[in-house]
Amino acid sequence: MSPTRAALRARQLYRLAAKEWRLLARNPHGLAVLFFMPALFVLIMSLTMKNSLVDRPPLPSTGWLVEDTSPPATQWARQWREQHPAQVFESAAALEQAVAAREVEAGVRVKAGWLGEDGRPRADRVEIWLGNRIQPAAAARLRAELGYSIMRAGMRMAAAEAGPFASAMLADAGPTELLAGDAAPGIRYLYEIQSGRTMTAVQQSVPAWLVFGMFFVVIPIAGVLIQERNDGTLVRLATFGVTPGVALASKFLAFVLLNWIQLGFMLMVGRWLVPLFGGDSLSLDVHPGWFVLMVAATSAAAVGLALAIAAWTRTFEHAAALGGGLNVVLGAIAGVMVPRMLMPPNMQVLSEWSPMGWALDGLQSVFLGDPDMATILPRAALLCGFAAACMAIGWWPLRRIGRREMREMGSDTIIASDNRV
Amino acid sequence: MNPDGSVLVEAEGLLYQYPNSSAPAIDGVDLRLVAGEAIGLLGPNGAGKSTLIDLLIGLRHPSRGAIRRRAKPPPTIAWVPQEYALYPALECGENLRLFADMLDIDRREATRRIDAAIETCRLGEFIDRQAQRCSGGVRRRLNLAIALLAQPDVLLLDEPTAGVDPQSRAFLLDRVRELVRDGTAVLYASHYMEEVSDVCSRILLLDHGRVLASGELDALLASAGDGEPHADLEALFMHYTSRSLRD
Repeated sequence: MSPTRAALRARQLYRLAAKEWRLLARNPHGLAVLFFMPALFVLIMSLTMKNSLVDRPPLPSTGWLVEDTSPPATQWARQWREQHPAQVFESAAALEQAVAAREVEAGVRVKAGWLGEDGRPRADRVEIWLGNRIQPAAAARLRAELGYSIMRAGMRMAAAEAGPFASAMLADAGPTELLAGDAAPGIRYLYEIQSGRTMTAVQQSVPAWLVFGMFFVVIPIAGVLIQERNDGTLVRLATFGVTPGVALASKFLAFVLLNWIQLGFMLMVGRWLVPLFGGDSLSLDVHPGWFVLMVAATSAAAVGLALAIAAWTRTFEHAAALGGGLNVVLGAIAGVMVPRMLMPPNMQVLSEWSPMGWALDGLQSVFLGDPDMATILPRAALLCGFAAACMAIGWWPLRRIGRREMREMGSDTIIASDNRV
Repeated sequence: MNPDGSVLVEAEGLLYQYPNSSAPAIDGVDLRLVAGEAIGLLGPNGAGKSTLIDLLIGLRHPSRGAIRRRAKPPPTIAWVPQEYALYPALECGENLRLFADMLDIDRREATRRIDAAIETCRLGEFIDRQAQRCSGGVRRRLNLAIALLAQPDVLLLDEPTAGVDPQSRAFLLDRVRELVRDGTAVLYASHYMEEVSDVCSRILLLDHGRVLASGELDALLASAGDGEPHADLEALFMHYTSRSLRD
């Protein structure tokens, strides 16, 4: 290449690159995606994962149900409660209710037979009940602490029996001589207790990513609505008698249907595709009424939000950046990217105040087999209210397009006759 | 159709000012749309042509003034926007069916009107083709065909031939002339003076929202004011609007 041509190419390269910077500088939404969103993610994820990577997570609060009435069992449970925050419950139902209502983070059930026939405590007669949102690290610490506590109780018993030779006997003793049964308490998630099924990753993932996917209808909705508005197609439809209400409602209907197709697809993925790769199969043993209600409410909220964004943005790029970015942030807060059980309690509270959080709460409750009216109805109502508010926000900038005069172009209406010159 | 020369739409003393604007976009405009007559709506960019059309179709509400329509039978008004106001991803036939289905007519009548619009705009071979895969000329014809589905008594055309080849332009102009001949009242907004001269018998020339000239085309051409008639419509246009560039 001659020096002249090389100089030309270099100049072209420079000018074009400068043009890209100029365009970028005039695209605040694009810049927001590049800078603001990652910063927000750093903030959210740092708070979300705060307790996941620490070596000593806080011990969860516990509720105790002591079914073994032997004095050693009672004494052991009392000693635990003296050292750690704990409540006592009189029945399995009361403890289950307390865990479900998050009055306590975990339940400890000391079953009859905790004191074995050989006079040793049995760790396998202790059951830890975990709420569906407890952090795994915190649950693991509780399990380890309980196991250690039971072992110490066993050691004390052995020492008491051995008398003066205790230190010699304990030095040679293995765990099986100090503890009867497995050395660690068993763990059961509330979901498993209530549904009789085993907690699996797919059972958690499908509702989470379904919610996320449903909210992404903003992309196709914005594509159509912005084109219709910018090309004048909406106005033209209005001259054919179509009100903005009908125009919005038609999109609502179409994209709600799309959400249901998404749902079917995600269910198939969870049910059949995941097992093909060695994962668990999604259980579809769900309550049909709560299931339909939650999907419908989630879909309404997702489409409503998408319509509001599409109605208030001028270009598809703007809508895609705003809608996509907003969804990702909402998803992060709600617990889509990182399961809510990994979040510290204050982030869990925050995540309950986002539309995706309401949807995720309700749908996970349905998919995890423990839905009830108190869980589903408030969240479905919040989602429907959010959808209605979004639809109103979306209708507002379009309202002029459906002026009554346009819909009655074929009538003998006299326009603006009140203010004649 | 009503070729009897009756007034279908009458606008009187229209004034419209955009929010946050210091000057009105339309200021004291009078207009009569008469059956079987085409009015050329002329003006530089920003003169107020599109705003006037917005007022006539009801998209905007005049700040002052009145727009009246014939009471009985009420005229049907259709609008052909400057943009391709249709669905590019739909086939031409699907676009026509969609808009026809929006009208308050039964399906048989809708099919009849679709067939008529296809015939009028020669869209037969493009019915199964996506609009976005059609040429600009075909899309302009489809744009017009959609408006014709309403069987309008009044047709508002906003630069209907922008960006098409001479053949498509000639075809579209022929169709507009036929519509006028059949009794349709036409308001034809354009920057192409020869088109307006070809199609329109009356002129409404706007600038800065005000009427600079209005009346019979021939009379306006003859009334240059210095004794010599204007050579053509472009000369008349430049005479009134001057040569200064506009935004």
